[in-house]
Amino acid sequence: MIGLVDANNFYVSCERVFQPKLEGRPVGVMSNNDGCVIARSAELKALGIPMGAPAFKLEEMRQRGEIHLLSSNYELYGDMSARLTQLLRDACPAIAPYSIDEMFVYLEGLTTEQCERLGRELHHRIRRHLGLPVCVGLAPTHTLAKLANHLAKQDPHYQGVCLLNGQDHTTQALLKRTQVGSVWGVGHRLAGRLAIGGVTTAWDLRQSDDKQLRKRFSVVLARTALELRGTPCMEMNALDQPRQRIMTSRSFGQPTGVFAEVHNALRRHAQRSAEKLREQRSLARAVMVFLNTNRHRRDQLQYFPQALIALPSPSDDTRVILDAVRQGLEQIHRPRYQFMKAGVMLLDLVDAEQHQLSLLHPPVRDRHPFLMATVDQINQRMGQGTISFGMTDAPAAWQLRCAHRSDRYTTRWDELMKVGTHPGAVAAAEAKQKEKQKKSRR
Amino acid sequence: MPGQSSHFTPALPLTSQPQPCGRAGFSGFPSPAQDYEPCTLDLNTRLVKNPTETFYVTATGDSMEGWGIFEGDLLVVDRSIEPQLGHILVAMLEGEALIKRYALYRGTPHLCSTHPNYPPLPLEGSDCQLWGVVRAVVHEYLR
Repeated sequence: MIGLVDANNFYVSCERVFQPKLEGRPVGVMSNNDGCVIARSAELKALGIPMGAPAFKLEEMRQRGEIHLLSSNYELYGDMSARLTQLLRDACPAIAPYSIDEMFVYLEGLTTEQCERLGRELHHRIRRHLGLPVCVGLAPTHTLAKLANHLAKQDPHYQGVCLLNGQDHTTQALLKRTQVGSVWGVGHRLAGRLAIGGVTTAWDLRQSDDKQLRKRFSVVLARTALELRGTPCMEMNALDQPRQRIMTSRSFGQPTGVFAEVHNALRRHAQRSAEKLREQRSLARAVMVFLNTNRHRRDQLQYFPQALIALPSPSDDTRVILDAVRQGLEQIHRPRYQFMKAGVMLLDLVDAEQHQLSLLHPPVRDRHPFLMATVDQINQRMGQGTISFGMTDAPAAWQLRCAHRSDRYTTRWDELMKVGTHPGAVAAAEAKQKEKQKKSRR
Repeated sequence: MPGQSSHFTPALPLTSQPQPCGRAGFSGFPSPAQDYEPCTLDLNTRLVKNPTETFYVTATGDSMEGWGIFEGDLLVVDRSIEPQLGHILVAMLEGEALIKRYALYRGTPHLCSTHPNYPPLPLEGSDCQLWGVVRAVVHEYLR
């Protein structure tokens, strides 16, 4: 069985762990520079505020106290994501992070009942120990696990955990009411072409003839159909199109602890990721760097760190991404570990053209589209890595606009959560602090 | 990152190597400690048993002084521990996080503090939620 553990409204949930007063309230998290809404609580969704709504349009509601809008606090989200990954790593035979808030767990050798019990246990434990609400989808394949997860999120009857065995009545009913376009790996355009042939639901696709699919569409789609039938046949990386995040990672030929060697590998991955990003005409808002030691070598020290760096504005510039990668590596690299694998993940992608047309965002001086296009062209024609980037300069003093950022509760000693010994203690202390600041200003 | 393995740099340069004494071919008596790996004590291993589920918070207010928690103290909170009577907890009450002792008062479980102004809060019928169990308090005399 494969499980997909997906945090509900991850960014908002991270904020709520340390600000209990936000529980049950409409909360949104804004993109870098407080441009638009990139994460919404269920209450904010219920108010009809769409994803990507410009923040200035919501300013009045915020000032009236009807909604809470927070600047993104990537340091906090990155740390909570690392904790979630670690918790799953400790509880499951094998895992594969898919994005900052989605992880696949592989439960080979467990019976269906054991899988369901473990799913419930994880659901409960992540909520209780980390304060994060998650949903768990369990199924024999990646594609079905994704659908199971979706069902667990939509239908409260499942209480956060949904298991589809691939053959039962529930699977059939679900596939029959799932539009083919919302199946993983079937894009919008493909759904249109499928509809012409009478394939409109996931169930239709499952029942389609294998040879026909391969002949008229692609091997990938034939595999998706197989996955819907409950036969696992997809590698995880084949599934993320159109990509919501871009990951490049590789194992080292030889484990290494040397900063320069790890850095070199990451620089390669960063350049490759940036190329993929430009290929699909997206911009990234954040960059995640991660390192793994060899978990099978019990005799060696284990360390699976990750760091998340927010970009000053959405970017596809290799140099900006390289710079973020270096910052991330400096945060997490420790010399006494032998690293087996290193990777770069580009997160919170936006459509480049849409972003450029938008008047809301300040012009980005860092971008050099012609330079990047030229580099990509040369590399395509003359081979990977013909032109690559040398060391970039020290970062310019990036001034992020983050007027409403919460404290970085888990990564800064001077920003820990304050807890009162009696009701009102924290509010009183804060009032006192303000009074003091006022006096000292005078 | 607290979620990961701990990293600790010894504050004192500990070494088991004999110091060079300047004469060629003679290195003095080997240190009797040479066979012992330098093994500095790491406070993390003592105070943080479950790094993934451990969070740090700062105490504010004076009503837990009787149990040794003072304004500005650092609390090591382990969210993976099942609370028992006598534990000191971080609990969520009406949208606010509070430090209280989980104890019996007149025979029923209450959240208690040591200040006369703040009487024990009965748990029965309240919407109080557990956030974590306080494993340790760090009170720094020099800061």
